[in-house]
Amino acid sequence: MKLDTRTLVLMAVAIVINIVVGQIAVWLKLPIYIDAIGTVLVAVLAGPFAGALTGLLTNVIWGLILDPGALWFFPVSVVIGLVAGGLARAGWFRAIPLTVLAGVVIAVLSTIVAIPIIVYVYGGVTGAGTDFLTAYMVGIGNKLIESVGIANLLQNLGDKVLTVLVAWAIIKRLPSRFTSGFPFFRYSQG
Amino acid sequence: MALIEIDNLHFSWTPGGPGVLAGISLQIAAGERIAILGANASGKSTLAQWIAGWLPTAAATAETGGLTVQGKAYGDHDAASRPGLAQFTGQVPMQQLSGFAFTVFDEIAFGPGNLGLPEAEIRARISDAIRICNLEALKDRDPFSLSGGEQQRLSIAAALAMQPEILVLDEPTSNFDPESRDALLDQIERLPAGLTIVLADASLTTALRLAARFVLLDAGRIIFDGAAAALLAHPRTAEIFGLPEIRLAAEYLQSAGLWPAGVPMPQSTGAAISVLRPLLAASGVSQ
Amino acid sequence: MAAAKDKDREKTLLYVPGEGWLHRLNPLTRLTGLGLVAVAAFALPPAATIVIALVATLMGTVAGAGAVFLRRLTLTLGPLALALFVVHGMLMDHPNRFGFLGLDLSHDGLMYMVKILGRIAALLSGSLVFVTTTHPSALLKALDSHGFPPGVSYLIASPLLLLEPFTQRARAIREAQMARGLDLEGSFFARIRAFPALLLPLVTLALADIDHRAQVLDGRGFRARPRRTVLDAPKDSPRQRLARRVMLGLAPLLIVGAFFWH
Repeated sequence: MKLDTRTLVLMAVAIVINIVVGQIAVWLKLPIYIDAIGTVLVAVLAGPFAGALTGLLTNVIWGLILDPGALWFFPVSVVIGLVAGGLARAGWFRAIPLTVLAGVVIAVLSTIVAIPIIVYVYGGVTGAGTDFLTAYMVGIGNKLIESVGIANLLQNLGDKVLTVLVAWAIIKRLPSRFTSGFPFFRYSQG
Repeated sequence: MALIEIDNLHFSWTPGGPGVLAGISLQIAAGERIAILGANASGKSTLAQWIAGWLPTAAATAETGGLTVQGKAYGDHDAASRPGLAQFTGQVPMQQLSGFAFTVFDEIAFGPGNLGLPEAEIRARISDAIRICNLEALKDRDPFSLSGGEQQRLSIAAALAMQPEILVLDEPTSNFDPESRDALLDQIERLPAGLTIVLADASLTTALRLAARFVLLDAGRIIFDGAAAALLAHPRTAEIFGLPEIRLAAEYLQSAGLWPAGVPMPQSTGAAISVLRPLLAASGVSQ
Repeated sequence: MAAAKDKDREKTLLYVPGEGWLHRLNPLTRLTGLGLVAVAAFALPPAATIVIALVATLMGTVAGAGAVFLRRLTLTLGPLALALFVVHGMLMDHPNRFGFLGLDLSHDGLMYMVKILGRIAALLSGSLVFVTTTHPSALLKALDSHGFPPGVSYLIASPLLLLEPFTQRARAIREAQMARGLDLEGSFFARIRAFPALLLPLVTLALADIDHRAQVLDGRGFRARPRRTVLDAPKDSPRQRLARRVMLGLAPLLIVGAFFWH
């Protein structure tokens, strides 16, 4: 599948947005990664394939410049792009209520992909804040996989709902002169 | 046959939207240096994009009329030969960079490399472009770390490496301080003589330095097409550009030896025009 | 001033300039090596992964990237080791428990901790060997000259180049919004509300550039022909080609071997 030049440029800018927005979250000391706004934007404007590729390359570039460990979480980003694109195709980004639900679906599915990576690659912990919750859940007698799942799902729900809401706010402000070049976007209009 | 022929072009950015170009007809011959002048929103930037082949796009097409280059629409030339027809340099220097190259040298190599040219030919084109645009000292630098003026020179060098017939410059110096503006204009003045240059600008003095023919746009229409002196005497010129610009332009004509000896510099538009009228008569230009 | 800016770009990359043996390898050889390390990190037992991590760290240090290795390995392995110790060494009901300094620990849990740490150390140090000795432009030229799609190269190069200008833009927006009284230090909800004020102008500006950038690429003949001419592509050699084939052949063997081993 060959992407047109405009979509390629959109994806490149989206990868930068993914990374820089994470930086803004750090400035604001928000307890979220919020590193998929660009991926969702691409998925809604140009479809699941472009969204998935944006997610994949975000992790590759993150690995090149910040933390090589990010590389191994690329399946999570790919799934975010695929799911967001699929839901956009089904019209879920037309109005706010379904958009919020889309955020929930993306959070659940991306957590399902993340769990095996966290459990089998990292032994259930990642050296980040969610480890405290995981440790607590394990401490009160839960199985590791459930503890990792619940800890990450809770964090991911807030993260992904905020992600789709911000993406939605951006999308609704885009001028038609901009969006008319992205035929896939018609599924999110009206 | 003119290099560029525009025939009754009507265009708006969105279907049924406000007309940006309202019936443009214009011919540009090979080797001409032509300035398209006008106020903001007069349509000059849009016209420049048409001439460079950036328009039409799938989403933005002509309502009527169109543009041909060497007798064919841009879309009818194949993708690999289009870069050799026209190149475009816009207002914001950083936007002109490909985003593919980590050095100035590689930025210039990007276009010729895309065409799959032989290595020796690419190297020759790069060293020509570097020489013309005076980039030797910068060639290993990161393009995104250059100053605006340096980036604009790089943008022109990268355009020249495509060996275009036409170089379209859209307000290339509008974001610069006077010093870097003059340096860049010096550079542009020295571009190869056979190159057709189309300059879209809101500054009379910039246009006077670079062009021999002047087109004045107003609300998407051509209201003047002719030489420098006649442009300065045109009634809309003073309204669009203001008296200070006319004065600067007159001073420029004076410094270029085109001002009548013994005549004081004009203090008002009327005075400027009364000085310029005899010039027009002498050059045989009618208003 | 301008030279300082170039240094800033180097700082955003983990790349460390050098002229040594590792730096002179073709980037694709190092990339294949990284792939093999990734497979080995999962296929081999802890003793082997720890050796891989040590060898990779030694190679990185010889190549002049010792400081980067020390910093990254500490930042990643430190918190990870602590979390693994608490979760697997203490909390989870792994067998073979013993008391130590008043803590109730599990021998099996601690062995599991070592296994994970060895694997992550191998993955991380292998990745670091690659990123500290491979400048992105060299990787892209290597991919280009081996016929990889230019679209993919663009998607790696362009974000790396745009990151610094965009971060500067984000900083400028932050200064401007703070000057207008935006509260970046207040309560959690105040900070959540500040988020769009920083984000929306940045993204809107970024998207506004897209048409222009796409036109610039098309105007320079991007993808107009199936193959690009690459100048100064990284050197390759028959021995390196052979080494890559051997590594590619070893990877499936390791996977199959690990399957029977377990």
